[in-house]
Amino acid sequence: MIRSPLMLEPLFHVGTVPVTAPVLVASAIVLSLGAGARLASRRFALRPSRLQATIELFVAAVDEQIKGVMQADPAPYRALIGTIFLFVLAANWTSLIPGVDPPTARLETDAALAFIVVCATIGLGVRARGLRGYLATFAEPSWAMIPLNVVEQITRAFSLVIRLFGNVMSGVFVVGIVLSLAGLLVPIPLMALDLLTGAVQAYIFAVLATVFIGAAVGEGGGQRASTPNGDGNEQH
Amino acid sequence: MRFDWWTFALQTVNVLILLWILSRFLFRPAADIIKARQAEAGKLLSDAAAARESAEAERRKAAAFEQELSARRAEALHTAEQDASARRQALIDAARKEAEQLRLAARVVIAQAREAEAEAADDRASRLAVDIAAKLIDRMPESARVAGFIEGLVEAVAALPLETRVELAAEGAPIPVTAPRALAEIEIGELEAGLRRALGRVVRVQGRIDAGLIAGLEIETAHARVRNSLRADLEAIQNKLLTRDG
Repeated sequence: MIRSPLMLEPLFHVGTVPVTAPVLVASAIVLSLGAGARLASRRFALRPSRLQATIELFVAAVDEQIKGVMQADPAPYRALIGTIFLFVLAANWTSLIPGVDPPTARLETDAALAFIVVCATIGLGVRARGLRGYLATFAEPSWAMIPLNVVEQITRAFSLVIRLFGNVMSGVFVVGIVLSLAGLLVPIPLMALDLLTGAVQAYIFAVLATVFIGAAVGEGGGQRASTPNGDGNEQH
Repeated sequence: MRFDWWTFALQTVNVLILLWILSRFLFRPAADIIKARQAEAGKLLSDAAAARESAEAERRKAAAFEQELSARRAEALHTAEQDASARRQALIDAARKEAEQLRLAARVVIAQAREAEAEAADDRASRLAVDIAAKLIDRMPESARVAGFIEGLVEAVAALPLETRVELAAEGAPIPVTAPRALAEIEIGELEAGLRRALGRVVRVQGRIDAGLIAGLEIETAHARVRNSLRADLEAIQNKLLTRDG
């Protein structure tokens, strides 16, 4: 019997809660990044080390990205955008570890990320504009657009999920198929390509989250920003 | 394919935990250290600007001091030049005064030398004249040296003031008559006769010899002196010449 690769079987149960492999890998990523950040931040000094300079360069790049998109102070959004980028990037690159499937190749992980982005969009939008102001954005440019704007909110959240899931899952499938058909070293170029794809997808996910939040809070003129790829659909 | 809601929930919790951890231990410290470095850099720039301003002020102060020193030096040089000029002028004046004194002294010395030289020349001329006269007289007869001068001597004695003639006659002693040679008896007789007429009494003549007279006769006593000789004439001529030259 051939098992579907999309099936998700629990590895073990904690009480009544089933713990699956993506949860375990994601927890490992959280622990690794958290411990690394804690260790690195202990040695922060005015005269930076090479690691500190790299971290500061990353933080500055995130800030520049946020300022470029939202035209606003990046401090309130820095942690969310930076965390999303780092988590997606680390999750995508776990495909390099033999026997480990990236958590982002599972729909639940991508849905969780998109759910957090949607919640942050709504929460930050309400905080910035007030509840009435935020709801009023759905009536722009006219009341007749309310259904379309609601549908847009739902579809763009789904587009975040499906884009990331499709790209990463397809990469895992391709590598698995090639590995089953050819020798051991043949999938290596495809795995290298997965590295690039993983980085690009992490960047796209973070930028789209920034754009959605920026459009919700209305800073930068309160105009809806366009997505980098126009229609928001990008396929690997 | 089945959507596992437990996995969805756990992954959401995982991401939220990571968000909290990274926010607390990565992004906030990194942003803080960047802000602190910017503040430190700003402080360093401010300090550098203040130090530069201070250095600029010091430079301006040094420039002002240098300018003041330059002015003082120029003033000192000017004063020194004035002092040197005054001293040089004083030295020049003193040198001129000294040169003038030397010139006057030299002029006096030159005048004295010229005068001495003129006197010497006159003396030589007198001697030459005496020599010439003596040589001319030598060509004449011996009697001419005395005989021609007896009448002149008598007339000169007669021309003496009365008191002088009385004193000359009252002495009683022979009257000394100087002649260029020894007087002959006849010449003594003529002299005594002439003097008796001029003095009004009998007198005796005592002859004396002085070749310097060249020719002629002279009487010289304590009260009177009568000269009738060529030497006396030459001396008179010389004195007259000297008086005219002077």
